[in-house]
Amino acid sequence: MWKKLRNPVLLFSLVFVSAASWLHAAESAPQSVQVTVRSILAGSKSDEFDPKLKSIEQQLKPLKHRSYRALKDETQTIPWQGSKAFEIPGGRSLTIATQEFQNERIGLKIRLTQGDKPLIDTTVKIPNRGNIILGGPAHEGGSLILSISAATQ
Amino acid sequence: MSQCDAIQESIGRWLDGELKATDSEAVRSHVEGCLACGAARQRLEKIQTTLGGLLRAQASQLEFAPFWREVRRRIDEKRPWHEELIERVQSQLTAPRLAWAVPAAIILALGFISYAKWPLGGQVSNYASVESIDTHGRSVALLREDETKTTIIWLYQDPEGDNENVEEATKSGPAF
Repeated sequence: MWKKLRNPVLLFSLVFVSAASWLHAAESAPQSVQVTVRSILAGSKSDEFDPKLKSIEQQLKPLKHRSYRALKDETQTIPWQGSKAFEIPGGRSLTIATQEFQNERIGLKIRLTQGDKPLIDTTVKIPNRGNIILGGPAHEGGSLILSISAATQ
Repeated sequence: MSQCDAIQESIGRWLDGELKATDSEAVRSHVEGCLACGAARQRLEKIQTTLGGLLRAQASQLEFAPFWREVRRRIDEKRPWHEELIERVQSQLTAPRLAWAVPAAIILALGFISYAKWPLGGQVSNYASVESIDTHGRSVALLREDETKTTIIWLYQDPEGDNENVEEATKSGPAF
C-alpha cells in the first residue's frame, strides 16, 4: 500500500514545493521600477484642459482648479534599491528611490527640492501601476502638480 | 533448502486444498515418488484425523447458545457517543490518509495566510499610502479621493519663501 502511495505523495509534494516557490518568487523584489513623473501646471485664469491629461482628468477633479496643462513627462527606470533624479519645471528636482515591494505595492522615497532647498521628503507606497499626486509649489502664476506613477519590471 | 524440504512445507496446504492446481500437482507427484515426503504426508494425515475426531467428539458437548447470546448482546449494546467518535476518528487517521492530510493542511494554511496579501484576495488597498512626510516647516494637506482612489499630497506655500507667485498659488490652492 505504501509503495502504491509513495509516487502520488512524492508528486504532490513536488507540486506543493513548486507552488510555494512560485508564490515566493511572485512576492520578491522586482529587478527595477519604471517611474513616470508628469508635471502639470494648474491655474484658475482660464478653463483650458490639456487633452494629454485626459487619462488623469478624474484624479485632478478634486483639486478644483479651472485649467490644467501638461508641461513635461519624464520616464526613468530605477534599479531596485536605487534612485534617480527627475527634472521638474521651475528649477526643481524630484529624487525618487525605490524601497520595497510588498503586497503588490511599491515603496518609494520621494524628495522634492528647489535648488538646494528641500521642499518635501516623503515615503509613500503606490499600488503597482498606480500613481500618487503631489502638488502645491507655485509655478508661472499657478500651481505645479506632479503625477508620480510606478510599475515594476 | 532441498526440494523435499520445500515439498514438506507445502504438504499441509496441499492437504487443505490451498495450493494452485499446478503446485498441487507437483506436490502430489513428488509425494507419491518420495519415501520421506510420503511419510511426512502420512504423519500429517494422521494428525488431522486425530484432531478431527477429537473436535467432533467435543463439539457435541459444547454449549453454543451462551456464545451467540453474547454476540447478540454486543451487537445490540448501545455504546457511548464518545467511544463511537474515538473509533471513527481512529479509523480515519490511517497512515496513508495522514500522508495526504499533512501537505493538504499546510497548503490550506498558506492559502489562508496569503489570501489577504494578494491583489484579488482581500484587503489590498488601491490607494497610495503616505508612510512618512517632512515638509520642512510648510503646511501640507493629504487627500484621499474615493471615486478614483487617488491620494493627493498638497504642499502649501510658505508665505515668505519658495519665490514665484506666492499669492496666486495660495489663492488657487485646492478647495478639498
